[in-house]
Amino acid sequence: MSRYYTETEVIAMVEELTRPRLRRYCRARIVQPVTTPDGPGFREADLARLQLLCDLADCHNLPEDGLRMVMSLIDQLNTARGDMRALMQAVAAEPDEVRIRIHRSIRGRRG
Amino acid sequence: MAGDPYADLGLTRSASEAEIKKAYRKIAKTDHPDLNPDPAATQRFKAASAAYDLLKDPEQRRRFDAGEIDEQGHERPQRRYYRDHAEAAGNPYAQNYGFEGDPDLSDVFSDLFGRRAAGGFGQGFRQEGGREFHMRGQDYRFALEVDFMTAARGGKTRISLPEGGDLEVTIPRGVRDGQTIRLKGKGGAGMGQGGPGDAYLTVSVAPHPDFRREGDDIFLTLPITLDEAVLGAKVAAPTVDGPVNLTIPRGATTGQKLRLRGRGINGGDQQVELKIVMPPKVDGDLAKFMEEWRKSHGYDPRRGMTI
Repeated sequence: MSRYYTETEVIAMVEELTRPRLRRYCRARIVQPVTTPDGPGFREADLARLQLLCDLADCHNLPEDGLRMVMSLIDQLNTARGDMRALMQAVAAEPDEVRIRIHRSIRGRRG
Repeated sequence: MAGDPYADLGLTRSASEAEIKKAYRKIAKTDHPDLNPDPAATQRFKAASAAYDLLKDPEQRRRFDAGEIDEQGHERPQRRYYRDHAEAAGNPYAQNYGFEGDPDLSDVFSDLFGRRAAGGFGQGFRQEGGREFHMRGQDYRFALEVDFMTAARGGKTRISLPEGGDLEVTIPRGVRDGQTIRLKGKGGAGMGQGGPGDAYLTVSVAPHPDFRREGDDIFLTLPITLDEAVLGAKVAAPTVDGPVNLTIPRGATTGQKLRLRGRGINGGDQQVELKIVMPPKVDGDLAKFMEEWRKSHGYDPRRGMTI
């Protein structure tokens, strides 16, 4: 799905989001839209990210610096989680003897 | 610059011992507080002499360069990195990160990593009691090809298992190409008190000669006769759930689209594109009629085209 939303569309769709706020997040590179001939193009993921940014900023009173750090941690965690999911799915489909070996090895390291 | 004794002497880290001495003497000559009453000069002199005290001794200089001591010659405390502790087994702050409640992977996760106390701030991993060994069974992954109509309408099929035997699979109505069907507990047997694994079927939907699918909408090209196009008609149009009466409007043309609301999949629509098909043979009657007709009714469908 390569549908891009314009700045105006995004502001209409995400409650709490104003144009200056959107511009600030883009300038700080917390949100990185795609460059299109008609200006910045926002993906579905950008929309969801902006919604989260607004929630975090408003509910936790986070200033931009703090917001940037929290988003970086959230991104790291979710990337790790995605990798972990793929790894676990792969392990779960391995035959018993392989899984027993992996199981023992992990228990040896992790308690 | 505060914190950089080399800069205080107007030097860089590559300066030689002789250069350090020379730079210090030069500053001492011009900026010594007994000679120069300017307070800025006093500041420069203080900084330069502190820097010189540190750097004149080769061993001290080496330790400063290596980061072992700071610019005042104090031992630097060893920096602590939380990650060293946070990643380690048994970190008292270890938390769940989303797999404990995962409908597909919670068993796989707890099998591999044990269970963490919910909500974080637990005591790391629960120890496995005794010597017995428990492990969940293997997940099976299969590719399953389904014909277009079965995917659209739902149905049942059988797959054979690697360990022999077969399994009846219910194909849900409207299953999409690439979608995965999970059959809970239909994987390999578990060990000890471990439950069985799951079976996952990745569905590929075979194309249909007439129907095409986009999301929940179905697309069909419907051939109509010349007279149906001219006069209009009621014809039977195929849908995934059987034929449906469709009214062709008088004067219908190729490419015209008609919508059969709710006749797609799971509430989607079916879109019918009309296509006028000539009779297999243009007979004398038709040719004669057309010759007469065009004399007084000629029209140009290509008008406005740049040819």
